[in-house]
Amino acid sequence: MGDHHRTPYGPGTPAPCLTVRPLEGGRGVRAAGEIGLATHTIWERVLEQAVREGEAVYYLELSEVTFVDVAGAGALAAAAERLGDGRRFVVRRPPPALSRVLDMFWPDLSTIEVSMS
Amino acid sequence: MSAAAEPLEAPAGPFVHPALFYRDDQEYLEGTVPFVREGLAAGEPVAVAVPGDRLRMVRDALGDDADTVRLLDMREAGRNPGRIIPGVLRAFADSRPAGKRVRIIGEPIWAGRSATEYPACVQHEALINAAFQGRTATILCPYDAVRLPAHVLADAHATHPTVIPVGARPVRDSEAYAPDAVVARYNEPLPLVADAMTLPFTADSLPSARHAASDEGRRLGLTGVTLNDLALATAELTTNSVLHGGGSGVLRVWAEDGHVLCEVRDRGRMTDPLAGRRPASREQRGGRGLLMVNLIADLVRVHTGDEGTTIRCWFPR
Repeated sequence: MGDHHRTPYGPGTPAPCLTVRPLEGGRGVRAAGEIGLATHTIWERVLEQAVREGEAVYYLELSEVTFVDVAGAGALAAAAERLGDGRRFVVRRPPPALSRVLDMFWPDLSTIEVSMS
Repeated sequence: MSAAAEPLEAPAGPFVHPALFYRDDQEYLEGTVPFVREGLAAGEPVAVAVPGDRLRMVRDALGDDADTVRLLDMREAGRNPGRIIPGVLRAFADSRPAGKRVRIIGEPIWAGRSATEYPACVQHEALINAAFQGRTATILCPYDAVRLPAHVLADAHATHPTVIPVGARPVRDSEAYAPDAVVARYNEPLPLVADAMTLPFTADSLPSARHAASDEGRRLGLTGVTLNDLALATAELTTNSVLHGGGSGVLRVWAEDGHVLCEVRDRGRMTDPLAGRRPASREQRGGRGLLMVNLIADLVRVHTGDEGTTIRCWFPR
Protein backbone atom coordinates (compact mmCIF):
# COMPACT_ATOMS: atom_id res chain seq x y z
CA MET A 1 0.00 0.00 0.00
CA GLY A 2 0.97 3.64 -0.24
CA ASP A 3 3.23 5.73 1.89
CA HIS A 4 0.73 6.43 4.64
CA HIS A 5 2.26 7.80 7.75
CA ARG A 6 1.34 9.58 10.89
CA THR A 7 1.12 13.18 9.80
CA PRO A 8 2.80 15.75 11.97
CA TYR A 9 0.76 18.83 12.66
CA GLY A 10 1.17 22.40 13.76
CA PRO A 11 4.38 23.90 15.12
CA GLY A 12 4.25 23.34 18.85
CA THR A 13 0.59 24.03 19.65
CA PRO A 14 -1.18 21.18 21.47
CA ALA A 15 -4.48 21.83 19.69
CA PRO A 16 -6.06 21.96 17.20
CA CYS A 17 -4.71 18.85 15.56
CA LEU A 18 -5.46 16.21 13.05
CA THR A 19 -3.79 12.83 13.00
CA VAL A 20 -4.13 10.40 10.14
CA ARG A 21 -3.09 6.77 9.97
CA PRO A 22 -3.75 3.98 7.48
CA LEU A 23 -6.80 1.81 7.96
CA GLU A 24 -6.10 -1.74 8.99
CA GLY A 25 -6.26 -3.70 5.75
CA GLY A 26 -5.53 -0.66 3.63
CA ARG A 27 -7.82 1.11 1.16
CA GLY A 28 -8.20 4.18 3.30
CA VAL A 29 -7.31 6.21 6.35
CA ARG A 30 -8.57 6.82 9.85
CA ALA A 31 -8.45 10.45 10.92
CA ALA A 32 -8.74 11.86 14.42
CA GLY A 33 -8.99 15.42 15.66
CA GLU A 34 -10.66 18.25 13.81
CA ILE A 35 -10.60 19.83 10.38
CA GLY A 36 -10.40 23.60 10.51
CA LEU A 37 -8.13 26.49 9.63
CA ALA A 38 -5.10 24.98 11.41
CA THR A 39 -5.46 21.57 9.80
CA HIS A 40 -6.67 22.28 6.26
CA THR A 41 -3.20 21.71 4.83
CA ILE A 42 -2.94 18.24 6.38
CA TRP A 43 -6.46 17.36 5.27
CA GLU A 44 -5.84 18.48 1.70
CA ARG A 45 -2.65 16.41 1.61
CA VAL A 46 -4.59 13.37 2.80
CA LEU A 47 -7.18 13.93 0.07
CA GLU A 48 -4.51 14.43 -2.63
CA GLN A 49 -3.02 11.13 -1.62
CA ALA A 50 -6.45 9.48 -1.62
CA VAL A 51 -7.12 10.63 -5.19
CA ARG A 52 -3.68 9.40 -6.30
CA GLU A 53 -4.10 5.94 -4.70
CA GLY A 54 -6.40 4.88 -7.52
CA GLU A 55 -8.57 2.59 -5.35
CA ALA A 56 -12.11 2.04 -6.62
CA VAL A 57 -13.39 2.56 -3.08
CA TYR A 58 -11.36 4.64 -0.65
CA TYR A 59 -12.46 4.77 2.98
CA LEU A 60 -12.23 7.89 5.10
CA GLU A 61 -12.94 6.74 8.65
CA LEU A 62 -13.92 9.94 10.50
CA SER A 63 -15.54 8.66 13.70
CA GLU A 64 -12.80 10.30 15.75
CA VAL A 65 -13.02 13.60 13.89
CA THR A 66 -15.01 16.00 16.06
CA PHE A 67 -15.58 18.81 13.57
CA VAL A 68 -15.21 19.68 9.89
CA ASP A 69 -15.69 23.27 8.73
CA VAL A 70 -17.11 24.41 5.40
CA ALA A 71 -13.69 24.73 3.74
CA GLY A 72 -12.80 21.21 4.92
CA ALA A 73 -16.00 19.86 3.40
CA GLY A 74 -15.24 21.82 0.23
CA ALA A 75 -11.80 20.22 -0.04
CA LEU A 76 -13.40 16.78 0.27
CA ALA A 77 -15.97 17.60 -2.43
CA ALA A 78 -13.27 18.97 -4.74
CA ALA A 79 -11.19 15.81 -4.30
CA ALA A 80 -14.24 13.60 -4.87
CA GLU A 81 -14.97 15.41 -8.11
CA ARG A 82 -11.50 14.50 -9.35
CA LEU A 83 -12.15 10.77 -8.87
CA GLY A 84 -12.64 9.13 -12.22
CA ASP A 85 -15.48 6.90 -13.34
CA GLY A 86 -16.33 4.05 -11.02
CA ARG A 87 -14.40 5.41 -8.06
CA ARG A 88 -15.76 6.83 -4.83
CA PHE A 89 -14.98 7.87 -1.29
CA VAL A 90 -16.81 6.16 1.51
CA VAL A 91 -16.92 8.59 4.43
CA ARG A 92 -17.56 6.66 7.62
CA ARG A 93 -19.28 8.18 10.63
CA PRO A 94 -18.46 11.83 9.92
CA PRO A 95 -19.29 14.54 12.46
CA PRO A 96 -22.69 16.22 11.92
CA ALA A 97 -21.15 19.40 10.50
CA LEU A 98 -19.68 17.52 7.52
CA SER A 99 -22.98 15.86 6.58
CA ARG A 100 -24.78 19.18 7.00
CA VAL A 101 -22.43 21.02 4.65
CA LEU A 102 -22.34 18.24 2.06
CA ASP A 103 -26.16 18.13 2.03
CA MET A 104 -26.30 21.89 1.63
CA PHE A 105 -23.75 22.36 -1.17
CA TRP A 106 -23.14 18.96 -2.80
CA PRO A 107 -26.34 16.97 -2.29
CA ASP A 108 -25.96 14.89 -5.43
CA LEU A 109 -22.24 14.21 -5.46
CA SER A 110 -22.18 10.55 -6.47
CA THR A 111 -18.50 10.02 -5.67
CA ILE A 112 -19.06 10.52 -1.93
CA GLU A 113 -20.97 7.93 0.03
CA VAL A 114 -21.64 8.75 3.67
CA SER A 115 -21.88 5.67 5.84
CA MET A 116 -22.96 5.82 9.47
CA SER A 117 -21.84 2.25 10.21
CA MET B 1 -58.71 48.55 -14.74
CA SER B 2 -57.20 45.19 -13.93
CA ALA B 3 -53.60 44.09 -13.96
CA ALA B 4 -54.54 41.44 -16.48
CA ALA B 5 -55.01 44.17 -19.07
CA GLU B 6 -51.63 45.70 -18.28
CA PRO B 7 -48.88 43.16 -18.81
CA LEU B 8 -45.44 44.34 -17.83
CA GLU B 9 -43.92 46.03 -20.85
CA ALA B 10 -40.81 44.70 -22.50
CA PRO B 11 -38.00 46.08 -20.35
CA ALA B 12 -35.11 48.29 -21.39
CA GLY B 13 -32.64 46.01 -19.61
CA PRO B 14 -32.89 42.29 -19.03
CA PHE B 15 -33.67 42.56 -15.32
CA VAL B 16 -37.12 43.75 -14.22
CA HIS B 17 -37.91 44.27 -10.54
CA PRO B 18 -41.23 45.97 -9.79
CA ALA B 19 -42.89 46.43 -6.40
CA LEU B 20 -46.61 45.68 -6.50
CA PHE B 21 -48.73 47.49 -3.91
CA TYR B 22 -51.99 45.75 -2.98
CA ARG B 23 -54.77 46.57 -0.53
CA ASP B 24 -56.72 43.35 -0.37
CA ASP B 25 -56.92 39.76 -1.59
CA GLN B 26 -58.57 40.73 -4.85
CA GLU B 27 -55.84 43.21 -5.75
CA TYR B 28 -53.27 40.63 -4.73
CA LEU B 29 -54.68 38.05 -7.12
CA GLU B 30 -55.17 40.62 -9.90
CA GLY B 31 -51.53 41.61 -9.59
CA THR B 32 -50.01 38.15 -9.31
CA VAL B 33 -52.10 35.53 -11.15
CA PRO B 34 -51.99 37.20 -14.59
CA PHE B 35 -48.25 37.74 -14.08
CA VAL B 36 -47.81 34.00 -13.53
CA ARG B 37 -50.04 33.10 -16.49
CA GLU B 38 -48.20 35.47 -18.85
CA GLY B 39 -44.98 33.75 -17.90
CA LEU B 40 -46.40 30.27 -18.41
CA ALA B 41 -47.88 31.33 -21.76
CA ALA B 42 -44.44 32.55 -22.85
CA GLY B 43 -42.87 29.27 -21.77
CA GLU B 44 -40.96 30.93 -18.94
CA PRO B 45 -40.10 29.09 -15.73
CA VAL B 46 -42.17 30.63 -12.91
CA ALA B 47 -41.71 30.54 -9.14
CA VAL B 48 -43.90 32.01 -6.41
CA ALA B 49 -42.23 32.57 -3.03
CA VAL B 50 -44.70 34.33 -0.73
CA PRO B 51 -46.03 33.79 2.83
CA GLY B 52 -48.01 30.55 3.20
CA ASP B 53 -51.51 32.06 3.40
CA ARG B 54 -50.93 34.08 0.23
CA LEU B 55 -49.28 31.10 -1.43
CA ARG B 56 -52.43 28.99 -0.93
CA MET B 57 -54.54 31.79 -2.36
CA VAL B 58 -52.40 32.06 -5.50
CA ARG B 59 -52.23 28.28 -5.87
CA ASP B 60 -56.01 27.93 -5.65
CA ALA B 61 -56.52 30.73 -8.17
CA LEU B 62 -54.09 29.11 -10.60
CA GLY B 63 -55.86 25.77 -10.48
CA ASP B 64 -54.07 23.16 -12.61
CA ASP B 65 -51.53 25.76 -13.75
CA ALA B 66 -50.10 25.67 -10.22
CA ASP B 67 -48.58 22.26 -11.01
CA THR B 68 -46.05 23.85 -13.35
CA VAL B 69 -45.08 26.64 -10.95
CA ARG B 70 -42.47 26.33 -8.21
CA LEU B 71 -44.27 27.26 -4.98
CA LEU B 72 -42.36 28.19 -1.82
CA ASP B 73 -43.54 29.44 1.56
CA MET B 74 -41.40 32.54 2.04
CA ARG B 75 -41.88 32.38 5.82
CA GLU B 76 -39.73 29.24 5.75
CA ALA B 77 -37.54 29.55 2.64
CA GLY B 78 -36.94 33.23 3.31
CA ARG B 79 -37.09 33.38 7.08
CA ASN B 80 -33.57 34.79 7.02
CA PRO B 81 -33.68 37.53 4.36
CA GLY B 82 -29.96 36.96 3.74
CA ARG B 83 -30.64 33.57 2.19
CA ILE B 84 -33.39 34.63 -0.21
CA ILE B 85 -31.03 35.66 -3.03
CA PRO B 86 -28.81 32.54 -2.94
CA GLY B 87 -31.35 30.02 -1.63
CA VAL B 88 -34.55 31.08 -3.41
CA LEU B 89 -34.13 33.59 -6.24
CA ARG B 90 -30.79 32.71 -7.77
CA ALA B 91 -31.26 29.03 -6.86
CA PHE B 92 -34.33 29.03 -9.11
CA ALA B 93 -33.00 31.34 -11.84
CA ASP B 94 -29.56 29.71 -12.11
CA SER B 95 -31.02 26.23 -12.51
CA ARG B 96 -32.74 27.29 -15.77
CA PRO B 97 -31.11 27.70 -19.18
CA ALA B 98 -29.07 30.92 -19.40
CA GLY B 99 -30.67 33.71 -21.43
CA LYS B 100 -34.19 32.37 -20.96
CA ARG B 101 -36.34 34.76 -18.90
CA VAL B 102 -37.49 33.49 -15.52
CA ARG B 103 -40.36 35.00 -13.56
CA ILE B 104 -40.51 35.06 -9.80
CA ILE B 105 -42.96 36.52 -7.33
CA GLY B 106 -41.03 37.19 -4.13
CA GLU B 107 -42.67 38.65 -1.02
CA PRO B 108 -39.94 38.96 1.61
CA ILE B 109 -41.59 41.68 3.70
CA TRP B 110 -44.91 41.01 5.37
CA ALA B 111 -46.75 42.60 8.27
CA GLY B 112 -45.27 40.85 11.29
CA ARG B 113 -41.62 41.06 10.28
CA SER B 114 -39.99 42.43 13.45
CA ALA B 115 -38.03 45.67 13.82
CA THR B 116 -34.95 43.46 14.28
CA GLU B 117 -35.56 41.64 11.02
CA TYR B 118 -36.52 44.70 8.97
CA PRO B 119 -33.05 46.16 8.23
CA ALA B 120 -31.97 42.78 6.85
CA CYS B 121 -35.20 42.57 4.82
CA VAL B 122 -34.86 45.96 3.18
CA GLN B 123 -31.14 45.47 2.49
CA HIS B 124 -32.04 42.20 0.82
CA GLU B 125 -34.58 43.94 -1.42
CA ALA B 126 -31.99 46.55 -2.39
CA LEU B 127 -29.31 43.94 -3.11
CA ILE B 128 -31.53 41.94 -5.47
CA ASN B 129 -30.76 44.61 -8.08
CA ALA B 130 -27.01 44.00 -7.87
CA ALA B 131 -27.39 40.23 -7.64
CA PHE B 132 -29.45 40.14 -10.85
CA GLN B 133 -27.72 42.90 -12.78
CA GLY B 134 -27.60 41.91 -16.45
CA ARG B 135 -29.64 38.75 -15.86
CA THR B 136 -32.78 37.93 -17.78
CA ALA B 137 -35.34 37.77 -15.00
CA THR B 138 -38.49 39.44 -13.73
CA ILE B 139 -39.00 39.54 -9.97
CA LEU B 140 -42.31 40.97 -8.78
CA CYS B 141 -42.44 41.92 -5.09
CA PRO B 142 -45.90 42.38 -3.53
CA TYR B 143 -46.29 44.86 -0.65
CA ASP B 144 -49.31 45.00 1.63
CA ALA B 145 -50.21 48.70 1.33
CA VAL B 146 -52.73 48.49 4.19
CA ARG B 147 -50.88 46.62 6.91
CA LEU B 148 -47.24 47.62 6.33
CA PRO B 149 -46.06 50.87 7.96
CA ALA B 150 -45.50 53.98 5.83
CA HIS B 151 -41.70 53.87 6.07
CA VAL B 152 -41.68 50.32 4.71
CA LEU B 153 -43.81 51.34 1.75
CA ALA B 154 -41.55 54.34 1.16
CA ASP B 155 -38.46 52.10 1.26
CA ALA B 156 -40.03 49.82 -1.36
CA HIS B 157 -39.92 52.77 -3.76
CA ALA B 158 -36.18 53.10 -3.09
CA THR B 159 -35.40 49.39 -3.52
CA HIS B 160 -37.40 48.84 -6.73
CA PRO B 161 -36.58 50.50 -10.07
CA THR B 162 -40.26 50.28 -11.01
CA VAL B 163 -43.51 50.25 -9.05
CA ILE B 164 -47.12 49.25 -9.64
CA PRO B 165 -49.20 51.55 -7.41
CA VAL B 166 -52.38 50.44 -5.67
CA GLY B 167 -55.35 50.01 -7.96
CA ALA B 168 -53.21 48.09 -10.46
CA ARG B 169 -52.39 51.05 -12.61
CA PRO B 170 -49.61 50.43 -15.13
CA VAL B 171 -46.06 49.87 -14.02
CA ARG B 172 -43.99 53.04 -13.84
CA ASP B 173 -40.45 54.07 -12.98
CA SER B 174 -39.76 54.73 -9.33
CA GLU B 175 -38.33 58.22 -8.91
CA ALA B 176 -37.10 57.33 -5.43
CA TYR B 177 -35.03 54.37 -6.64
CA ALA B 178 -31.73 54.41 -4.69
CA PRO B 179 -30.73 50.88 -3.65
CA ASP B 180 -27.16 51.72 -2.55
CA ALA B 181 -28.46 54.42 -0.23
CA VAL B 182 -30.84 51.90 1.35
CA VAL B 183 -28.04 49.40 1.94
CA ALA B 184 -25.99 52.16 3.61
CA ARG B 185 -28.88 53.60 5.65
CA TYR B 186 -29.79 50.21 7.14
CA ASN B 187 -26.17 49.36 7.94
CA GLU B 188 -27.21 50.00 11.54
CA PRO B 189 -24.87 49.63 14.53
CA LEU B 190 -25.47 46.54 16.68
CA PRO B 191 -24.94 47.78 20.24
CA LEU B 192 -23.03 45.64 22.70
CA VAL B 193 -25.22 43.35 24.77
CA ALA B 194 -24.61 43.04 28.49
CA ASP B 195 -24.46 39.63 30.16
CA ALA B 196 -23.33 37.67 27.13
CA MET B 197 -20.76 34.90 27.23
CA THR B 198 -17.73 36.79 25.86
CA LEU B 199 -14.54 35.32 24.47
CA PRO B 200 -11.76 37.04 22.52
CA PHE B 201 -10.11 34.73 19.97
CA THR B 202 -7.17 34.47 17.60
CA ALA B 203 -6.08 31.78 15.13
CA ASP B 204 -4.81 29.57 17.96
CA SER B 205 -8.08 29.65 19.87
CA LEU B 206 -10.56 29.02 17.04
CA PRO B 207 -11.45 25.54 18.35
CA SER B 208 -11.88 26.89 21.91
CA ALA B 209 -14.20 29.59 20.62
CA ARG B 210 -16.32 27.01 18.86
CA HIS B 211 -16.45 24.79 21.94
CA ALA B 212 -17.37 27.76 24.14
CA ALA B 213 -20.23 28.69 21.80
CA SER B 214 -21.45 25.09 21.80
CA ASP B 215 -21.33 24.83 25.58
CA GLU B 216 -23.19 28.09 26.01
CA GLY B 217 -25.72 27.19 23.31
CA ARG B 218 -26.43 23.89 25.04
CA ARG B 219 -26.78 25.63 28.40
CA LEU B 220 -29.25 28.07 26.83
CA GLY B 221 -31.40 25.26 25.48
CA LEU B 222 -30.19 24.43 21.97
CA THR B 223 -30.10 20.77 20.97
CA GLY B 224 -29.54 18.60 17.91
CA VAL B 225 -29.19 20.17 14.49
CA THR B 226 -29.57 23.70 15.79
CA LEU B 227 -26.79 23.27 18.32
CA ASN B 228 -24.54 21.90 15.58
CA ASP B 229 -25.52 24.82 13.36
CA LEU B 230 -24.49 27.27 16.08
CA ALA B 231 -21.08 25.57 16.24
CA LEU B 232 -20.74 25.66 12.46
CA ALA B 233 -21.71 29.34 12.23
CA THR B 234 -19.31 30.20 15.04
CA ALA B 235 -16.49 28.36 13.28
CA GLU B 236 -17.13 30.15 9.98
CA LEU B 237 -17.49 33.64 11.47
CA THR B 238 -14.46 33.35 13.74
CA THR B 239 -12.35 31.87 10.93
CA ASN B 240 -13.37 34.77 8.69
CA SER B 241 -12.19 37.21 11.37
CA VAL B 242 -8.82 35.48 11.52
CA LEU B 243 -8.45 35.42 7.73
CA HIS B 244 -10.09 38.69 6.68
CA GLY B 245 -10.92 40.68 9.81
CA GLY B 246 -7.56 41.60 11.26
CA GLY B 247 -6.58 38.21 12.67
CA SER B 248 -8.68 38.25 15.82
CA GLY B 249 -12.10 39.08 17.18
CA VAL B 250 -14.54 38.75 20.04
CA LEU B 251 -17.23 36.09 20.21
CA ARG B 252 -20.42 36.59 22.20
CA VAL B 253 -23.30 34.18 22.78
CA TRP B 254 -26.55 34.92 24.62
CA ALA B 255 -30.29 34.24 24.58
CA GLU B 256 -33.10 36.59 23.60
CA ASP B 257 -36.72 35.40 23.69
CA GLY B 258 -36.94 32.30 21.54
CA HIS B 259 -33.45 32.50 20.09
CA VAL B 260 -29.83 31.96 20.95
CA LEU B 261 -27.67 34.65 19.37
CA CYS B 262 -24.08 34.36 18.30
CA GLU B 263 -22.09 37.48 17.48
CA VAL B 264 -18.57 38.01 16.18
CA ARG B 265 -16.87 41.41 16.16
CA ASP B 266 -13.59 42.11 14.44
CA ARG B 267 -11.51 44.95 12.98
CA GLY B 268 -12.21 44.17 9.34
CA ARG B 269 -14.48 45.98 6.97
CA MET B 270 -16.77 44.16 4.57
CA THR B 271 -16.48 45.84 1.22
CA ASP B 272 -18.64 43.42 -0.79
CA PRO B 273 -22.33 43.90 0.01
CA LEU B 274 -23.15 40.63 -1.76
CA ALA B 275 -20.77 38.59 0.41
CA GLY B 276 -22.64 35.49 1.59
CA ARG B 277 -25.47 36.07 -0.88
CA ARG B 278 -24.01 34.70 -4.10
CA PRO B 279 -24.83 31.08 -4.76
CA ALA B 280 -21.64 29.04 -4.79
CA SER B 281 -20.69 27.53 -8.11
CA ARG B 282 -19.93 23.85 -7.99
CA GLU B 283 -16.30 24.40 -8.96
CA GLN B 284 -15.67 27.25 -6.52
CA ARG B 285 -13.15 26.14 -3.88
CA GLY B 286 -13.64 28.45 -0.93
CA GLY B 287 -15.81 31.39 0.04
CA ARG B 288 -18.86 29.47 1.26
CA GLY B 289 -18.60 30.29 4.98
CA LEU B 290 -20.85 33.33 5.19
CA LEU B 291 -23.24 31.77 2.67
CA MET B 292 -23.54 28.75 4.96
CA VAL B 293 -24.32 31.02 7.90
CA ASN B 294 -27.07 32.70 5.85
CA LEU B 295 -28.51 29.34 4.88
CA ILE B 296 -28.71 27.92 8.42
CA ALA B 297 -29.53 30.91 10.64
CA ASP B 298 -33.03 32.30 11.23
CA LEU B 299 -31.68 35.82 10.85
CA VAL B 300 -28.29 37.41 10.14
CA ARG B 301 -27.60 41.07 10.81
CA VAL B 302 -24.40 42.81 9.78
CA HIS B 303 -22.89 46.15 10.66
CA THR B 304 -19.68 47.13 8.94
CA GLY B 305 -17.63 50.31 8.86
CA ASP B 306 -14.19 51.80 9.41
CA GLU B 307 -14.27 50.74 13.06
CA GLY B 308 -14.87 47.08 12.22
CA THR B 309 -17.51 44.51 11.43
CA THR B 310 -20.15 42.88 13.62
CA ILE B 311 -22.11 39.86 12.41
CA ARG B 312 -24.93 38.61 14.59
CA CYS B 313 -26.98 35.49 13.91
CA TRP B 314 -30.10 33.98 15.45
CA PHE B 315 -30.83 30.29 16.09
CA PRO B 316 -34.23 29.10 17.35
CA ARG B 317 -34.40 27.29 20.69
